[in-house]
Amino acid sequence: MSAALAIARRELASFFRIPLGWIVTALFLFLSAIAFFQHSLEPGRAATLQEFFTMWWSLLSVIAPAISMRLLAEETRAGTIEPLMSSPASEVAIAAGKYLGAVAFLVLCLAPTLVFPGVLLSLSRPDVGPIIAGYLGMILLGMAYLAVGLLFSALTSSQTLAFLGTILTLILLERGATEAAAYLPEPWDSVASALSMGVRLADFAKGLIDTRHIVFFLGVSAWFVLMAALVLRIRRWR
Amino acid sequence: MVEVRSVSKSFGPVHAVADVSLTLRPGEVTGLLGPNGAGKTTLIRMITGLMTPDRGAVSLFGHDSLINSGPARRILGFLPESAPSYPEMTVTEYLTYRSRLFPAPAGGRAAAVEHAIKACWLTEMRRRAIGKLSKGYRQRVGLAAALVHDPRVLVLDEPTTGLDPSQIRAMRDLIRSLAKGTTADRVVLLSSHILPEVEQTCDRVVIMAGGRIRADGTLAGLVAAHAAGAPFVVSVREAAGVGAFARDLAAIPGVLRVQPAAHDERQATFEVIPAGAAHDLREPIFALAVRHGVTLRELSRRSATLEQVFVSVVESAAARTEREAA
Repeated sequence: MSAALAIARRELASFFRIPLGWIVTALFLFLSAIAFFQHSLEPGRAATLQEFFTMWWSLLSVIAPAISMRLLAEETRAGTIEPLMSSPASEVAIAAGKYLGAVAFLVLCLAPTLVFPGVLLSLSRPDVGPIIAGYLGMILLGMAYLAVGLLFSALTSSQTLAFLGTILTLILLERGATEAAAYLPEPWDSVASALSMGVRLADFAKGLIDTRHIVFFLGVSAWFVLMAALVLRIRRWR
Repeated sequence: MVEVRSVSKSFGPVHAVADVSLTLRPGEVTGLLGPNGAGKTTLIRMITGLMTPDRGAVSLFGHDSLINSGPARRILGFLPESAPSYPEMTVTEYLTYRSRLFPAPAGGRAAAVEHAIKACWLTEMRRRAIGKLSKGYRQRVGLAAALVHDPRVLVLDEPTTGLDPSQIRAMRDLIRSLAKGTTADRVVLLSSHILPEVEQTCDRVVIMAGGRIRADGTLAGLVAAHAAGAPFVVSVREAAGVGAFARDLAAIPGVLRVQPAAHDERQATFEVIPAGAAHDLREPIFALAVRHGVTLRELSRRSATLEQVFVSVVESAAARTEREAA
């Protein structure tokens, strides 16, 4: 556990020491501000962040792969994976540490956007429930996307390939499940619907925090992190 | 100690390592030599647990390096070739991070980091970003990272690559001192292409070729074993009887052949190649010189170098492989 935390700390710190970390943060805040001013601060509109969150859920499919692409791919390219893999840190600790560092970075990127609900609260009386649920949905979706990205980062030493592979997979997972839910006969439509992250996010947007959704996102995240650990383990067998 | 027991590893049809057994003892610096493709890197990767052998096992002080390898990796320090590290981190940050990957040492992590910094002469660079250091310093940072948890087994892959001569000398002294650990002697395995470095650093030399160990012993032992065919050098003052002396040299029992090495108006030099290891030809050559009345200026046996041993071992391994293939 201490090894995973050490790796997570190093990972988080490194995001703020490389241009990519600052570019992602700046992009995150810039687009957040535009979304907020366009959709939430317009006179006469409901005091809600729903459209802000909807836009962010789409943008996360690009932002999360940009954060995750370097996690293990860069270690492999630079050769630092060798001293790491020969240390007592297990494959699960390495994958979990990398993942936690990326999640912490995403949460830190989100933190400044809390100023937007603060502005809303100072100007009107918005329903706080959907705002809290929206942030929770954003973090859970980000966690799932980062876990998918971690797996692709473990599969290649090219950050570009990891980035593209993650985006393609996220599109396939999301669009595939949504489209399948619309066209498949019963009971397969329910299965596809249950796998769709978009369907679950709609509940978060309404301010509904369903434990099943939380378990789903955490389960998906854990599964992909463990798959990344398995990829690292398989490297020893090659 | 490190025990490598009958390990083999193949990549498709290529047998990178074939049935290699090796025991590395504490307090001993062992040099691992071999031409490209000899299987050194594969063997090192199996010892460090980065690669699983197809057959055989590796243990580090009784801990299996592959199954439940945590205890083995706790006592292992590994410096990969080119000493990879994180350029954005400072030396102290990187070493602190590395120390956190291992169980806390008795004296605390801060003391361990401090000790590694001092041992590798990094005190002045401790606050510098690794990416801004010279190649030599980055190599030292890699070594400090391998040492920070006071490992009992130290594996160094090409530790002096890219260093200048003075840095090589300093690194060599450091590696030699590392075999004697702070609490107990260490096993040190060093892989290198630079033969003089191995010659001056290692107590023992292991030469690999074609995935197998072809020679293993102390430097003096290997040199002695391969000195069997080393020629005797005979220099005589140029005079009337030198031609007859040279003809009779070839007739001495145990001489394979005689070849002129240098000749001028004052001196003639010959190389006398013995037929086998048992033939010490110095006394018969001296007696022959006395008989012919020529003045001996030099009579010595050319000693073998590690380079000659290496070339001889690798060439005979290649010849054996060719015979087997035929």
